[in-house]
Amino acid sequence: MITLAIVLTGFGSYAMRAFFIFALAHYTFPQILLRALEYVAPTVMAALVISMLTSPKGELEAGLPELIGLTCAATAAKTTGNHILALISGMGTFWLIGAII
Amino acid sequence: MNTFPSQPVLQGALDALPLFIPALPFAFVFGVVVAEAGIPELLGWSSSPIIFGGAIQVTLFTLIGEGASVAAAVSAALIVGARHMLYSVTLAPRFQNQPTWFRWVGAYVLIDQVFVLSQIKPIDEPVAFRRYFLAAGFTFWALWMIFTALGVALGPVIPTEWGVEFAAPVLFVSLMMAASNRRDKLCSAAVAMGLTYFFAALPSRAGILVAVIFSVCLMLLFTRKQSI
Repeated sequence: MITLAIVLTGFGSYAMRAFFIFALAHYTFPQILLRALEYVAPTVMAALVISMLTSPKGELEAGLPELIGLTCAATAAKTTGNHILALISGMGTFWLIGAII
Repeated sequence: MNTFPSQPVLQGALDALPLFIPALPFAFVFGVVVAEAGIPELLGWSSSPIIFGGAIQVTLFTLIGEGASVAAAVSAALIVGARHMLYSVTLAPRFQNQPTWFRWVGAYVLIDQVFVLSQIKPIDEPVAFRRYFLAAGFTFWALWMIFTALGVALGPVIPTEWGVEFAAPVLFVSLMMAASNRRDKLCSAAVAMGLTYFFAALPSRAGILVAVIFSVCLMLLFTRKQSI
């Protein structure tokens, strides 16, 4: 049963990733759709961040250390464009504020 | 393009490495979930090459461990992964001038991190794009295979009180900023954050997909009004 579940999920998740790449392989994208697709990356990343900070019931699971850490990471990413630096500053302030509080 | 052919390969692999840092603790969480669900280690690990999607794998085994039916567990796991359809649509124009084999193989490694890398570093030249995409994808793939195997074999080795899991939202905030290289894109990210919180209680994290679709539509409406 577990094998079946793994195979079905594997098939389904591959199909979701491949479907539009194949279905739209010869499609001429209208301008408005191309414009819409530009917003997918920032909005998906934003949505993933919030979903990582909320419980499955929808409650926010982030306190002051998390919020300050994320703000620092966002600022570091915006000014330096370096993800490792953003990671270090975000985790650093998160641990620091967490230790102080 | 006057770049060396190996340059996009190296760049792709190097860009993927820091993105794996938050996936590291997650690989050990995966190991714990497999053990708690009472699934044989090798069978549990086989989901890494078969499914290749951390959140999807963890959802599937958590629900199986809770005694859910195969149909219920599989459909919940697929709803968690539904955002990959958005990646498929978004990358479809970039895959149009690519060979068929790359469509098959590229779709297999189309995960959150590889998608966002392809959006942050828009490479126009098809061969360079393909090499970059595959190098990033399979670097991540190889690391995920190794560390989920370690996770399943070793169990929890990273103490939870360290809060290493917080590295995931930190990295994704950083990726979000890199993807928001225009003011309207930053605005779309802010809208999506608000809407995801609003829809956060929807089952199987379906709020992610709903919030993204809503905020993209809102942005289209808003930017259209502005340009008139």
